[in-house]
Amino acid sequence: MAYADSPENAITVIKQRTVLMNRCLSQHKLMESLQHTSIMLTELRNPNLSPKKYYELYVIIFDSLTNLSTYLIENHPQNHHLADLYELVQYTGNVVPRLYLMITVGTSYLTFNDAPKKEILKDMIEMCRGVQNPIRGLFLRYYLSQRTKELLPEDDPSFNSQFIMNNFIEMNKLWVRLQHQGPLRERETRTRERKELQILVGSQLVRLSQIIDDNFQMYKQDILPTILEQVIQCRDLVSQEYLLDVICQVFTDEFHLKTLDTLLQTTLHLNPDVSINKIVLTLVDRLNDYVTRQLENDPNSISSKTYSDVDVFGTFWDFLTVLNHERPDLSLQQFIPLIESVIILSLKWYPDSFENLNKLFELVLQKTKDYGQKNISLESEHLFLILLSFQNSKLQLTTSSALPQNSFNISKKHFIFQLISQCQAYKNILALQSISVQKKVVNEIIDVLMDTEAEELTENESESKPNSSGPTSHLVIEDKVQVQRLLSICESLIISRSGPAPNVASSDANIDEVFFNRHDEEESWMLDPIQEKLAHLIHWIMNTTSRKQTNKNNPRFSLEAQLEILLLIKSSFIKGGINVKYTFPAIITNFWKLLRKCHMIKEYLLKKRADNITLLSHYSNLSKQMFKFVSRCINDIFNSCDNSCTDLILKLNLQCATLADQFQLNEISYDFFSQAFTIFEESLSDSKTQLQALIYMAQSLQKTRSLYKETYYDSLIVRCTLHGSKLLKKQDQCRAVYLCSHLWWATEISNIGEEEGVTDNFFRDGKRVLECLQRSLRVADSIMDNEQSCELMVEILNRCLYYFIHGEEAETHISIKYINGLIELIKTNLKSLKLEDNSATMIANSMDELHITGEDNMKANTNSDDGSGNIDKDTNVAIGSDGTYIQLNTLNGSSTIIHGVVATTSGSKLLHRLKYIPVYHFQRTCEYIESQREVDDRFKVIYV
Amino acid sequence: MSIFFKSPIDIEILFDNEESRKHVDIAARSSNSSYKSMKESLPVYEDGESLGGIVTLRVRDGKKVDHLGIKVSVIGSIDMIKSHGSGNSATKKPTSTTSSSSSNGSIDVRKNSVDQFLCQSYDLCAAGELQHSQSFPFLFRDLSKRYESYKGRNVDVAYYVKVTVMRKSTDISKMKKFWVYLYNSIATASNTLSANELQANSKGVASDVRDADDTTNNDTLKNSVQGGAEDGNQVLPATHSNNEPKPVRLDIGIENCLHIEFEYAKSQYSLKEVIVGRIYFLLTRLRIKHMELSLITRESSGLQTSNVMTDSTAIRYEIMDGSSVKGETIPIRLFLSGYDLTPNMSCNYFNVKNYLSLVIIDEDGRRYFKQSEITLYRTR
Repeated sequence: MAYADSPENAITVIKQRTVLMNRCLSQHKLMESLQHTSIMLTELRNPNLSPKKYYELYVIIFDSLTNLSTYLIENHPQNHHLADLYELVQYTGNVVPRLYLMITVGTSYLTFNDAPKKEILKDMIEMCRGVQNPIRGLFLRYYLSQRTKELLPEDDPSFNSQFIMNNFIEMNKLWVRLQHQGPLRERETRTRERKELQILVGSQLVRLSQIIDDNFQMYKQDILPTILEQVIQCRDLVSQEYLLDVICQVFTDEFHLKTLDTLLQTTLHLNPDVSINKIVLTLVDRLNDYVTRQLENDPNSISSKTYSDVDVFGTFWDFLTVLNHERPDLSLQQFIPLIESVIILSLKWYPDSFENLNKLFELVLQKTKDYGQKNISLESEHLFLILLSFQNSKLQLTTSSALPQNSFNISKKHFIFQLISQCQAYKNILALQSISVQKKVVNEIIDVLMDTEAEELTENESESKPNSSGPTSHLVIEDKVQVQRLLSICESLIISRSGPAPNVASSDANIDEVFFNRHDEEESWMLDPIQEKLAHLIHWIMNTTSRKQTNKNNPRFSLEAQLEILLLIKSSFIKGGINVKYTFPAIITNFWKLLRKCHMIKEYLLKKRADNITLLSHYSNLSKQMFKFVSRCINDIFNSCDNSCTDLILKLNLQCATLADQFQLNEISYDFFSQAFTIFEESLSDSKTQLQALIYMAQSLQKTRSLYKETYYDSLIVRCTLHGSKLLKKQDQCRAVYLCSHLWWATEISNIGEEEGVTDNFFRDGKRVLECLQRSLRVADSIMDNEQSCELMVEILNRCLYYFIHGEEAETHISIKYINGLIELIKTNLKSLKLEDNSATMIANSMDELHITGEDNMKANTNSDDGSGNIDKDTNVAIGSDGTYIQLNTLNGSSTIIHGVVATTSGSKLLHRLKYIPVYHFQRTCEYIESQREVDDRFKVIYV
Repeated sequence: MSIFFKSPIDIEILFDNEESRKHVDIAARSSNSSYKSMKESLPVYEDGESLGGIVTLRVRDGKKVDHLGIKVSVIGSIDMIKSHGSGNSATKKPTSTTSSSSSNGSIDVRKNSVDQFLCQSYDLCAAGELQHSQSFPFLFRDLSKRYESYKGRNVDVAYYVKVTVMRKSTDISKMKKFWVYLYNSIATASNTLSANELQANSKGVASDVRDADDTTNNDTLKNSVQGGAEDGNQVLPATHSNNEPKPVRLDIGIENCLHIEFEYAKSQYSLKEVIVGRIYFLLTRLRIKHMELSLITRESSGLQTSNVMTDSTAIRYEIMDGSSVKGETIPIRLFLSGYDLTPNMSCNYFNVKNYLSLVIIDEDGRRYFKQSEITLYRTR
């Protein structure tokens, strides 16, 4: 019998024959209807159908045969006897139609209780062997399975399971055989087709799982060994992967739990190309689901260990050991995901057992070493990255205390911290990785550890329910060792690689490396997120150690212990070489914190127990010690960074000096100041920085109180002023000197109890102040640039007014005469400035409107510039304390643009505008003087 | 007989209880295909059964018919196409004989009786005059029938009752055919055959190289399945002529290409039985498309030196779809009762043998086959 030439025609034929068959059935012409059925079934012989098309035909035919079956059942035995029909249909000449008919008749017969059920079933499944073509055979056996679904004898589960297993085994054989059919070049097509057909085979296992229900004994003794043997025997990649997956999926977790070793053993015997990790992961998933369900049912079951009769991890561990031994060919790419799966399992089942993790990591370590460090390929690098930074999405971290769902990050934080402090192997693996991987991993870890968002979250939560989540919300650093471990993990980030490292030159020099190298060479102050993070880490560690411990078993760290930790950090970070410039400031800052704490303790002791001299001297020694450490740190920065960060060093020195001064440690303070001066003199060469440094020094010095003894102060301020007058630019000289005038005019610091008018021992010397101002005026006068000169004079005028307000003339030596003279001088200069200007009229205009407020000035400006653009309208120009021009954007006042040199075309307008700066400044000053007249009579004699 | 001359007497032969007797449909055998569908239904008798009936003679139009006596005879004869009797026809292909048979189909005119193994007759009435219709009962008591009726391509075994009205002029006669079944037990079947078996079997092995399937003419691609010589001997039913059937196991193979074991329950089957067996695959490098089991009936006629063999495929039955692999077993179950089969027969002039033929068709359309003889016999 022939089949149709195309699937479409085949469907037509099938439908026609179905109609004919049904008609004959309605007329009780069984023989004819069987003939039509047989012709219809011939379409299933077509060898040219793809699995999908074949399935389409199969579905239509299945429905038709269902009709036939219904008829057969309804008319038995009055019109025919199914036993006879069963023989009759076997005369069908072709094997495929014959077997479909046999199964249809046979299963119809099975619905009757008097039928010899087992014999029929046995016969059908035996005869199915006649179809050896994979696709046709698979569908035929699937048909058998579908038809017999409800009809297996109820009283004999072992027979039923044997029946289904038999069918399964044969189906699997056919399925595997499909791979080897046809030409080699169509191999991939075959694989694809097989994947399309896999559900047919898998369905048998599903049936099995339905049949056995909870009969574990049968599962363990009969079914599982048979299936697994079949899986092993077929030695087929697709089959083994799929079937083991299905086995893991369809049978219950309890079964898996109890047959874990068998399942794992099986994976050892598979085709070497099978990815064991997928299977293991599926298994792990199932087991983890089991735990989850147990937890849902009974939250205490983990603690009560209701299922502890099975050592799950032990089984997996044994498996891994054997696997590692027997399959040395497994690459890291295959091995690592496997380990990862087991880690996931271990975390679920034994959330508190870090020993397990350590074991696993040790195994990875050993494996990695076997392969040789050099051989870590890029792909496995990626795997390591995921493994070590715990990015696997399946990872579910739970700690013994049940945490709320949303606090995943917190638990991860705790977990990683525990891991770092307890698993030595983890660190060792990390150390084996390439630098870039290490960096990424450590980066990840630090991110997790310092995830403030999670911290805030718990804080909120702990407010709502303070009892439950309180203790777990923050990490607890218990001892120095933990810190040490943490630091050693971070080493890869800390250590700077000066010069090209040998492995960087090779192929794995990625962008990261290039970035770092270039960075190091240029020694610039580019923002380095990693170093910044490390600095953050330092603060985090110190904060964590100083945080109040709620747990009473962990007493708060003593000052000494904290110091110890800080020193630990320091000794670790010193390895960073050039990077210390990023990290040491954080360390120094923490030293300062400790110093303040130390000082507070000392103060307390002085107040309460002044007699305890030993304790007092201990703390004063301690603080002196700490200052020494700080000094060391600063030196370290200096030594490792050469001249790149002298500014930083200067500032640190000054800060230290200030701190020491506050603690009345004048010797130390002086030392730091002198250090600062040394730096200034020896290393600061940039004139702009020099000015800034001087201003900073002056500010620090002006606030010191402890240095008056032994004329430290005097020598320092003289030196400072001297440096100021020796600056390169005259503007700078001028400004530095008039700012230094304040050094002879100490003002109140209310924090330490000083008060103007009450305290009488301020360090003040009006003569020197005047000298300074005069000197700076001289410099200002000698500046060629008229605008600058005027501006500086106005600034000096402002200083004069300051001293005028703050002190009697006798003290400050700033007389009204002097001020009036200065005003006169300024006015003269401004006039000559006016003359210089071509558009003198405009200046006159603006001069006429001197008393108008700033807004009106703006208007005047826009008028005079004929509305030359939005920029002009919206911008205003000022001058900074260091002489730079600042363009103020009035639209959003915060943004300022600094023009060191005004040279652009748009700047020429600006340049024009610059002329007005001293004018406006002077104008504001005059306004101030006038307004002061109302409160201070002395101002009335100042002529504007 | 003659268009111009109508027979003056109408002779009708009726067997006793003919309507209620078992009948068989026999195709009016002729190689002319248009008559294939024509069937005649014949009553069935068996060996030793009495044959009786009534002969009715009707005289036309009240005429008187003088006769020299009326005789009834029962005849069993072996008819053969005559040319095959002579020596040179052996080279002729059996299928090439074209039919020149007459259309009435009662007796193949090509075939001439070569042996009348049965001829009994007696007078129904003495010479006299027939004036009106007259009926005469007849009876051949316990008639022994040596051979089973057979209608083959070249040979027929025919039984008939002949009533002859003898006259001075042409005799008027009428024949009525009937069919004979011989029912055997296993023992007798093997006994009847034992004489010819050795010879026949050696021929059977030799004939393996020939195409077993006469429906295809594609001779070039035929490959023979090499059956071992010893296997051929094993097939000999003579070696186990006792009643206890032993399974037949055949090792079949093409070197380094295919090796299968063909096993079936026994070598002798009654026509109502089921052939049960299996094929066990030991080696398959062949891409098999499907595998068939056929039953071939081989008619061999003529004398030893010039016999003509004709094969006809009685059953074609697909037993496997697709290609199997090493270690697979394919079940065979073939119900025989539904088919019109010829049991084994043997006599001096011809013999009929049955062969089970395993045909393997590979994906390139090549056919491989192995035949092995089985004995079929009729049981009640």
